[in-house]
Amino acid sequence: MISTDPWVWLSAFMTLCSFMLLYGEHPLFRIGEYTYTATVVAHSVVTGIDTFRLRFAPLIAGTQPFLIVSLILGFMSLFVAWRKYAWLASFPMAILIGVGTGVTIRSLVMTDLIGNIRAVLLEANTILKADPGTQLGYMVRIVFTLSALIYLLFTLFIKGPLSKPVAYISTLGKYGILLYFGITVGNAWQQHSGLAVSAINRAIRQLLGL
Amino acid sequence: MVKVPELKSQYIWIVVLIAFVTTAVTPLGAPFKIFDTTQEVYNFVESLPKGSIVVMGGSTVFAFDLESSASMIACIKHMARKGLRLVNIPLGVESVQYQKYCTDAARVDQKYGGPWKYGVDYVQLPYIPGGDPALVQLLTDVRSAVSVDVYGTSLDQLPIMKDFRSYKNIALWTCPHWGITSIFRFVTGERGIATAHFAQAAAYTGSYGYRTVFPGLVYVTNGWIGGAGYEKLMGYAGVGTAANDGYALASALLLIFTVLGNVTMLSQMRKEEEKEKVEVK
Repeated sequence: MISTDPWVWLSAFMTLCSFMLLYGEHPLFRIGEYTYTATVVAHSVVTGIDTFRLRFAPLIAGTQPFLIVSLILGFMSLFVAWRKYAWLASFPMAILIGVGTGVTIRSLVMTDLIGNIRAVLLEANTILKADPGTQLGYMVRIVFTLSALIYLLFTLFIKGPLSKPVAYISTLGKYGILLYFGITVGNAWQQHSGLAVSAINRAIRQLLGL
Repeated sequence: MVKVPELKSQYIWIVVLIAFVTTAVTPLGAPFKIFDTTQEVYNFVESLPKGSIVVMGGSTVFAFDLESSASMIACIKHMARKGLRLVNIPLGVESVQYQKYCTDAARVDQKYGGPWKYGVDYVQLPYIPGGDPALVQLLTDVRSAVSVDVYGTSLDQLPIMKDFRSYKNIALWTCPHWGITSIFRFVTGERGIATAHFAQAAAYTGSYGYRTVFPGLVYVTNGWIGGAGYEKLMGYAGVGTAANDGYALASALLLIFTVLGNVTMLSQMRKEEEKEKVEVK
């Protein structure tokens, strides 16, 4: 049954407008583009106001009085738009960056650095125990990880007896990185086609009530 | 010089659009393989005891996440069938709409004839600003980070939130959003909670590596093809299956266009060669 909801029709129309770019420069695409941009900005403002209202409700109710600190810091950050008193905004910004960095850096080191090194060591440890297919997978990953690291760490290598073998390993690492980029580009193409189908599918299914 | 016949790109796009629209209305049932990674997510959800709390959380923009909706919708249907509960935690401005869309599209609420009741089986929290520090705060103490749901109802009035106080109550964190790194770091890495990333195809390779970093705790599906697999496991054809059909049909059409273009070009070449021969004589 075809939907009678005007929002569904509008959504389908805007989806069609977005895809008009594929047909070339077209006024309908511009309508879609400007409407989307305006909507995103308006939505962010409304969400911001709504979030402000919801977040500070406990302060007004008196259940979380310490929220006054956040409120003051928030107001201080607004002074960034006023050149004479812009220095006031430095304090909340400093706290924001300090807390954010402090929280993230520990986790980043543990997960992305130590975690990845541990994963490579684990795979190296189990390389002879797995089935041939998995062994090959582990081997490729270990070789590419190490050679790519060598490529990135020793881009400039001091000339000497080791420079030639290091250059070979480095080139292998470069190919490994290029392979990764190639796979990522392939996946990105798959994603964009998937996005297009999902968007069309969503519009059609809602429109026809499927 | 042989003149290659012109085929306007607009015509190709129109044909591809028709292919996508056709498959959205009429599923073709194009064959595909269910990946092991998709089966693993399904098995993990299947293994969770009834009443477990699953989180859908993360951040990025609605349009970019749309591809992941196939897996997420199928997973929500799975959760409802298993009697699990869902808490939606949006960490991005547009995440609220996206999470609401996925939950609505799964048709699990009682108003659609499903088993779930809002506030009892699932809840939609409002946008939680603050990035990583806010996520850590929420994991430590939910009520210190948010006090109401998206409709402004106090969390104390929602039965599901009585059992959701901190990260200790989370059985699985699902993320259909692009912004997964923080989830891997703070949810899985620091707190040991299993995460299922319904990754967009372009994010899949990045997320896949975390499976080795946290073995047994990280699950990843690959874009719409992962979604199609999950839908197959759930026994229905949804957005993922339609996307697979559309992609298969569009690929076949592009192949036909390529063959046709080459055949036309070769026949033109032959004609021109023959014409040149005649002119020489």
